Amino acid sequence: MAAKSGRNGLLDKWKIDDKPVKIDKWDGSAVKNSLDDSAKKVLLEKYKYVENFRLIDGRLIICTISCLFAIVALIWDYLHPFPESKPVLAFCVVSYPLQILSQLYQKEKSIFLVAHRKDPAGMDPDDIWQLSSSLKRFDDKYTLKLTFISGKTKQQREAEFTKSIAKFFDNNGTLVMEAYEPEVSKLHDSLALERKTK
Amino acid sequence: AVRAAVAAMLSLDFLDDVRRMNKRQLYYQVLNFGMIVSSALMIWKGLMVVTGSESPIVVVLSGSMEPAFHRGDLLFLTNRIEDPIRVGEIVVFRIEGREIPIVHRVLKIHEKQNGDIKFLTKGDNNAVDDRGLYKQGQHWLEKKDVVGRARGFVPYIGIVTILMNDYPKFKYAVLFLLGLFVLVHRE
Repeated sequence: MAAKSGRNGLLDKWKIDDKPVKIDKWDGSAVKNSLDDSAKKVLLEKYKYVENFRLIDGRLIICTISCLFAIVALIWDYLHPFPESKPVLAFCVVSYPLQILSQLYQKEKSIFLVAHRKDPAGMDPDDIWQLSSSLKRFDDKYTLKLTFISGKTKQQREAEFTKSIAKFFDNNGTLVMEAYEPEVSKLHDSLALERKTK
Repeated sequence: AVRAAVAAMLSLDFLDDVRRMNKRQLYYQVLNFGMIVSSALMIWKGLMVVTGSESPIVVVLSGSMEPAFHRGDLLFLTNRIEDPIRVGEIVVFRIEGREIPIVHRVLKIHEKQNGDIKFLTKGDNNAVDDRGLYKQGQHWLEKKDVVGRARGFVPYIGIVTILMNDYPKFKYAVLFLLGLFVLVHRE
């Protein structure tokens, strides 16, 4: 009994959902990731939307299949020494870059969150919110774009803001949620409000 | 003691990114690692298919071909069936039962009408021919022993491979650190 609660305690200590995000402020990809994650948190926790994993799962599946192809090629070559394994190897080698290309093409759109707002009455189809962002290398301007697709009318509306990351991080590299969260909420509310006035 | 070690690790900041990840993101990190390994594998296998050689890139391990090739040179091979093997040309071959490819020059050839050949090799810098290296009772090499012909080379770079083979602990340490870095670092 003591051992089990001990393990749970360790697991709790491992998860740090509430600890403020601290990253290396000079590491561009860490900055973008933490801003993306926090924007996600705002939409999912504050507005209680439900994340749709289809896009991400698709990416994971393509990557997994690519790795499988590589493993198959490896094993085939091991079992049937080289000259005989040529056709199988050639097939795997040609299909591998194709999968990588399809993956890169998906990443181009840089959407990192697809979330659904379930209609409280349960009658109309879900509204879809999409988040995408960009932060150029060595640049400090972060662009966050929120896209709203109405479930009923299938109309698409979007809003974005571009701000310097210096506005959201303090000198130590800690993300200041009090500065960031209002920006995300403003973006969201501007789209939500338009909807209500129609 | 394990709990204490884990607790100590938790206080290190560099694992913070990992701790914030959900199941999908963790799986993605592992996939990332797998993709890098797979890409390297596919490039190697791709080279094998394109060049027709079992070992398209080899490192010269000894000084037996000086002054043409030195220890540590990297050789790029092709193994096309159409390439005839002629006396005086350099071939890379493997002796049956041995893993290590050898880069030497062709000394003598016996050729049959149907194109089968038996040939003898010798390193430029060696005093005697390679019969001493061949298998017990084997006096000639055949086409099936050929790994390829050198088509291009880069000097000295292969020294890293030789070092990694001589000091395997160094190799494992480098690979382990690289693997850890890929697993923990987010894109």
